[in-house]
Amino acid sequence: MRQGVVYINTNFSSVSGFDAERDSMRTCLLTFECCCVCDIQKLLGRRSHGSAGSPVPLPFPMAHGTTTLAFVFQGGVLAAADTRSSCSGLVACPASQKILPIHSHLVGTTSGTSADCALWKRILSRELRLYQLRNGRRLSTSGAAKLLSHMLHPFKGTELCVAATLCGWDDHTSLSGPSLFYVCSDGSRLQGTLFSVGSGSPYAYSILDQGVQWGLTVAEATSIAREAVYRATHRDAYSGNCVDVYHVTSQGWTRRTREDLKEEYYREKESRRQTHEAEKKML
Amino acid sequence: MFIKQFHTAERKIEFLHGTTTLAFKFEHGVIVAVDSRATAGSYIASQTVKKVIEINPYLLGTMAGGAADCSFWERLLARQCRIYELRNKERISVAAASKLLANMVYQYKGMGLSMGTMVCGWDKRGPGLYYVDSEGNRVCGDLFAVGSGSMYAYGVMDSGLRQDLTVDEACELGRRAIYQATFRDAYSGGQVNLYHVHSGGWTRISQEDVLMLHQKYRDQA
Repeated sequence: MRQGVVYINTNFSSVSGFDAERDSMRTCLLTFECCCVCDIQKLLGRRSHGSAGSPVPLPFPMAHGTTTLAFVFQGGVLAAADTRSSCSGLVACPASQKILPIHSHLVGTTSGTSADCALWKRILSRELRLYQLRNGRRLSTSGAAKLLSHMLHPFKGTELCVAATLCGWDDHTSLSGPSLFYVCSDGSRLQGTLFSVGSGSPYAYSILDQGVQWGLTVAEATSIAREAVYRATHRDAYSGNCVDVYHVTSQGWTRRTREDLKEEYYREKESRRQTHEAEKKML
Repeated sequence: MFIKQFHTAERKIEFLHGTTTLAFKFEHGVIVAVDSRATAGSYIASQTVKKVIEINPYLLGTMAGGAADCSFWERLLARQCRIYELRNKERISVAAASKLLANMVYQYKGMGLSMGTMVCGWDKRGPGLYYVDSEGNRVCGDLFAVGSGSMYAYGVMDSGLRQDLTVDEACELGRRAIYQATFRDAYSGGQVNLYHVHSGGWTRISQEDVLMLHQKYRDQA
């Protein structure tokens, strides 16, 4: 057990540019270790003593089976996701929540293994709350992303699979406004204005690239986000069922009522049938 | 001696799976739009590949997969279509042309051919669009996109496609779909080649560089 502790500490002392958050980080990992010692030991042991050269099998052969997206605009950050949880061909849950609120001004979209995402989001919420209590202010989205990224780092190379986008509004004097970060269990941490993650992301990207700009109104942005998820669920087998839309502003996050995309499909089919019939009548 | 020659080094064949080609049917015919980039691994071999093959004045074929396979088999198809015309004194239908192609490549199934093509034309039954590939698939449909950038193109096409599009709107939709695919897909790029197939045959609408389109759409927004 002592060896485990030393391993984690040295890992983080070598990380530069991570000063104020380091103490809370170390505490976080130590407490985590106390809770499930054997698991960490096994995971770390697997990584360091694993048979040389044998690749760790990934949970999915391709991208995570989902469609989540988030983008920044003048009215804040908009996050949207489908609600299908699949387990290689079986729709395990048609009504899952892929956008998890972390605190009043931060939501995170999840992609990858649902269990991993849910757990790490809860751990992140706990750490951010502790930071807020200790320091009297909320941690920025950038800091939260860094925290999550560093928490996931010891599990690199294992079967942990988390690809999240953190969407938040920062209230600091120097950098206030909407903020969006992509954090992945393979170590990436990227800031951006538009991200889409999952097997349905290419379909969503083309819609988003066409329409997303800084100057959108809230209604326009919601409509584009919904359309992007709808198109992705239409073509991708691993995405489907309903769409969730969350909007983060300086007042906090708000959630739109969950919409079943089946209705949208039938509405569109009906309107196409009507225009087709109107045409035939004209001819 | 013979056995030694058999085990020569594997030659790298240039594949065009890294591509975006699309075609869709609408009231006034079929729109065919393709990019023009050829890649061999991460190397861009060419930015000016012609991925639309003009089989005859009223039939077009697109190219995805092995460039050699596509152009060879479609030239062979052109020959078969001409023979049909001469024998039967009427143009071949799109369904028959695609069936000829599918049957030709089916004989070589499993031998390493790589071809994913869309046969587009206008015949007695109106606009015709078939997807034929070297695995033996032959499907009729209203809308197809083939290649690594196809998923990006599908998103744009699905949201914009209606039966009552005008020719200009349909061309713009095809162009935009290819542009969006080249924006996100590293293996697609170069120029967007656009064709329109109507009752009088096919017409080449435009060839526009993707970077010019990027400027145009950015200024529009």
